[in-house]
Amino acid sequence: MSKQKKKSGKNKLLQALPFMIPSFIGMIVFSFFPVVISIFLSLTDWNGLEKLTVNTIFEHFVGLENYIKILSGSEFWRVLGHTLYYIVLYIPLVFVASMGIALLLNKKKKGTMVFRVMYYIPVLTSWVAASLIWKWVLSPKYGIFNQILAILGISGPGWLTSEVWAMPGIVLASVWKDMGFFGLFLLSGLQAIDPTYYEAARVDGANKFVTFFKVTLPLVTPSIFFCLIMALINAFQLFPQVQIMTEGGPNGATQVMVERIYTYGFSYFKMGYASAYSWLLFVIIFVLTMIQMRLQNGWVHYES
Amino acid sequence: MSHKVKNILANVSYYAISVSIAIIVMIPFFWMISTSLKSKGALMALPVQWIPEEPTLNAYVQVFRKFPFLKAVGNSLFITISYTLITILSSSMAAFAFTKIKFPFGNGLFKVYLASMMIPTQVTLIPLFIIMDRLQLTDRYASVITPSLFKAFGIFLLVQNMRSIPNDFIEAAQIDGAGLWFIYRKIMLPLTLPAILTLSITTFMDSWNDYLWPLVMLTDRDKMTITLALNTLNGQYATEYNVLMAGSLISMIPIILVYIGANSRMKTGIMVGGVKG
Amino acid sequence: MKKALATLLIASMALGLVACGGTETKQQGGNDTPSTEQGVANKGTEEEVTITYCNFNASGGNEETLNAMYEKFHEEYPNIVVEIETVAYNDYFTAMQTRVSGGTAPDCYELNIENFAAYASKGVLADLSNADTSNFNETALSAFNVDGTQYGLPGNFSNVVLIYNKDLFDQAGVDYPTNDWTWNDVQIAAEKISALGEDIYGIYAPLTYNEFFKVAAQYGGSLLNEDKTAFTINSPENIRAAQMMIDRVLVSNVQPTTEQMGGMGDWDLFQSGRLGMIPTGIWAFNTFTTGCDFEWDIVVEPGGTTKATHFFSNALVVNADSDKKEAAITWITWLASSPEAAQMRIDAGWDLPAIKDEAVLNTYLTVTPPENKAAVFESLDSLVVPPVIEDYAMMSDIITMKLSEAASGKISAEEALNQAQEECEAAITLK
Repeated sequence: MSKQKKKSGKNKLLQALPFMIPSFIGMIVFSFFPVVISIFLSLTDWNGLEKLTVNTIFEHFVGLENYIKILSGSEFWRVLGHTLYYIVLYIPLVFVASMGIALLLNKKKKGTMVFRVMYYIPVLTSWVAASLIWKWVLSPKYGIFNQILAILGISGPGWLTSEVWAMPGIVLASVWKDMGFFGLFLLSGLQAIDPTYYEAARVDGANKFVTFFKVTLPLVTPSIFFCLIMALINAFQLFPQVQIMTEGGPNGATQVMVERIYTYGFSYFKMGYASAYSWLLFVIIFVLTMIQMRLQNGWVHYES
Repeated sequence: MSHKVKNILANVSYYAISVSIAIIVMIPFFWMISTSLKSKGALMALPVQWIPEEPTLNAYVQVFRKFPFLKAVGNSLFITISYTLITILSSSMAAFAFTKIKFPFGNGLFKVYLASMMIPTQVTLIPLFIIMDRLQLTDRYASVITPSLFKAFGIFLLVQNMRSIPNDFIEAAQIDGAGLWFIYRKIMLPLTLPAILTLSITTFMDSWNDYLWPLVMLTDRDKMTITLALNTLNGQYATEYNVLMAGSLISMIPIILVYIGANSRMKTGIMVGGVKG
Repeated sequence: MKKALATLLIASMALGLVACGGTETKQQGGNDTPSTEQGVANKGTEEEVTITYCNFNASGGNEETLNAMYEKFHEEYPNIVVEIETVAYNDYFTAMQTRVSGGTAPDCYELNIENFAAYASKGVLADLSNADTSNFNETALSAFNVDGTQYGLPGNFSNVVLIYNKDLFDQAGVDYPTNDWTWNDVQIAAEKISALGEDIYGIYAPLTYNEFFKVAAQYGGSLLNEDKTAFTINSPENIRAAQMMIDRVLVSNVQPTTEQMGGMGDWDLFQSGRLGMIPTGIWAFNTFTTGCDFEWDIVVEPGGTTKATHFFSNALVVNADSDKKEAAITWITWLASSPEAAQMRIDAGWDLPAIKDEAVLNTYLTVTPPENKAAVFESLDSLVVPPVIEDYAMMSDIITMKLSEAASGKISAEEALNQAQEECEAAITLK
């Protein structure tokens, strides 16, 4: 029995091999090796400028010093807090926005193709251009956002110039930029739904509301799950918009994990320290993702 | 009658919502267009000047004059198309093996694949550069194309989609004597076409806009991509925003074309899938 | 356990890959060095050498000028071929650091002053003591001399002057600034200009490290003691300087707060005609010439108890591992200090060469506005160079952060500098 199982396992492995080879080689060369080297570097005080050879690791070896220093200081926890603050605001907003877009575009109406292109434009716009305009949109005095709020009788905050409101400002810009991206995946999930399910629902006399919650939503859960995991991984690695829009300011209120990693590695020349920072970030993302993977059995429906 | 009224109301509200979202979403795009039509002086004036006082196409002329624009576009097209094709092929093959062959250690390996996305690229940049250098790939197109072999993002996306395809299809085909390659090509690929097209769009865009990696790898001016070329407009003290925006707009065109092409294919793709299902 | 061992094995393989590659290139370098050591100082006769040169200074519109300079150089030194790579300023240093640590840095390249010290202290730059530095401005040259070794040549030079809006001075009925002004005179004028309207401000001097170290010097302060062994950030002179800068924002409000700026840049504010004075770099001239629809001019920057003017320069450096150092030095020396290159640089309105030759520099004076261009050279009498230490970027970030906290009213100027002193001492070890 177990022998047979072993044999079939071996067979399966042989069958899978040709399909796996390209990505596996790529993974080893372009991901695994660099990642392993970076683990070793995280145990050194290498500055990121001296030529990197195998000796670098022995010459600069400091053991767990970087990790201890990071975890015992206050900066790491403060920056982690900022990152989590971003995630808590960003994930629900971007999810609702991209789902809304996907549902809107899934309607069979004239002109959806035009809207589809338009909604994707922010994804195509570079952060350089996008951040220039968002700085203006969120400008406390001249910005369109606060002017609209003023019409509604609300006096708008200082956004990027305020320690409290800078992060929500970055969240707004990020949601604007990313909703088309995730909307695209949700849309392809919606479109893959077999029309016969809707017909069956109609025959059963289900109204739109029920159809959405009983048919549409369960069937796109694989796409939703994908978007959720990707949004989480990306959100933890939030960087370009912060670098361009606030540079971590005002007064460090928008300093986030990757911004620190970049600063330590490429501006302060403490690449060993930056690597240790990255590995701590990795552990956090990995644990959260694995929890998601475990939980998915409860709500993600793969086969109909 | 009331049905008709209801229909019209639904249509009106649909377009009202769609158009207002479109306007919000497009504001920066309008600004890019307006900036690209400005002369040098009026770039950063606040409040924003939406309609340039003296519109000029000068910036567009500059784009073509400043660097070998067509050559750069050619390089970009070559790199991006190769990159996208390899990603699609390699990712779909891996996703197929992960979901439908269920080989030993497959789940563990899949987690390793996923985990590779969680390390910030900022700290693997130098190690990866050194590996490329030892493989003698620096300053070759291969250095920016070969990383497409492993795109965890694409594999994850396709795994999510392939998992939804009932195993019955495959079992039925296997009973008919079909081999794995046949199943992969004739059943899995057509049935996941929407996802594959989506992946093509994002991969194409990523590769087209990629900046830091090509910058590090390609030093030869003849191999310069359009994104590299455009970035040389950023100076230490001054940036020629009008030329930069003109160039960015031109460089967005291929991605938009790919996007439209993929989207129109998506409809026919679903019909094929539907018929088979 | 087995898994862990396997992982380690693969890891060491990966490192092995790095290791053997590393020694390989070293050997190559070793073999090649002697043959080219005599170099190419003699024009024409030697065999052709190709060197690579990477820069950011020409990005943003001066690539053509740089190419023209190279053509001129190549006429003079036909045996040296330079492959020029121009990279955007934004990611230049990330890319350069990657190449340097990967052992594939160009033969010669450009560094800004912030990165120069770190590169020099990490042994990746060649000693340029052999270079012919007779044409260079000495202050500029000294900025790239680390503990007696010349690691870089000043590729260009910029300083800071006080730029003022003549129209606003006229409206406020204040006399134009002169070279003798101190910050007290500026304060009086700024208050009158601010009084012109709600959205009009007297002056804008950013609360940043770069601005601060110079103002500190104007009050006789400095950030480090003389032999650079200890921080002196919270000295009484420095506190006085910081207090003056912060009071402009919080007390007299002749300088807008960040909220009042509303996300606008300081140059934009000046160009919109709502700012009386701005101490800023001479690289603003081109932008202001096209962007301002009012009269403006410049004077030497006012001082506190003494005068001190910013000096900025980018360093041209040679890769310590290059096997074509002589040719590289020939090229960067020519590029930075030859009269021909200097003339082309000025004619193109690019920036100023860091040279002594006044005849060449004089042509710069003829281009107006600003009317009083002589102030650019008058400023040279009181140049200060930022302190070159290994952890330059970290020190400057800490100080900027504390100053901006003080400018938002969270802490006092004295507290800000005390905290900056503490944090710098904790994070940075001085030699």
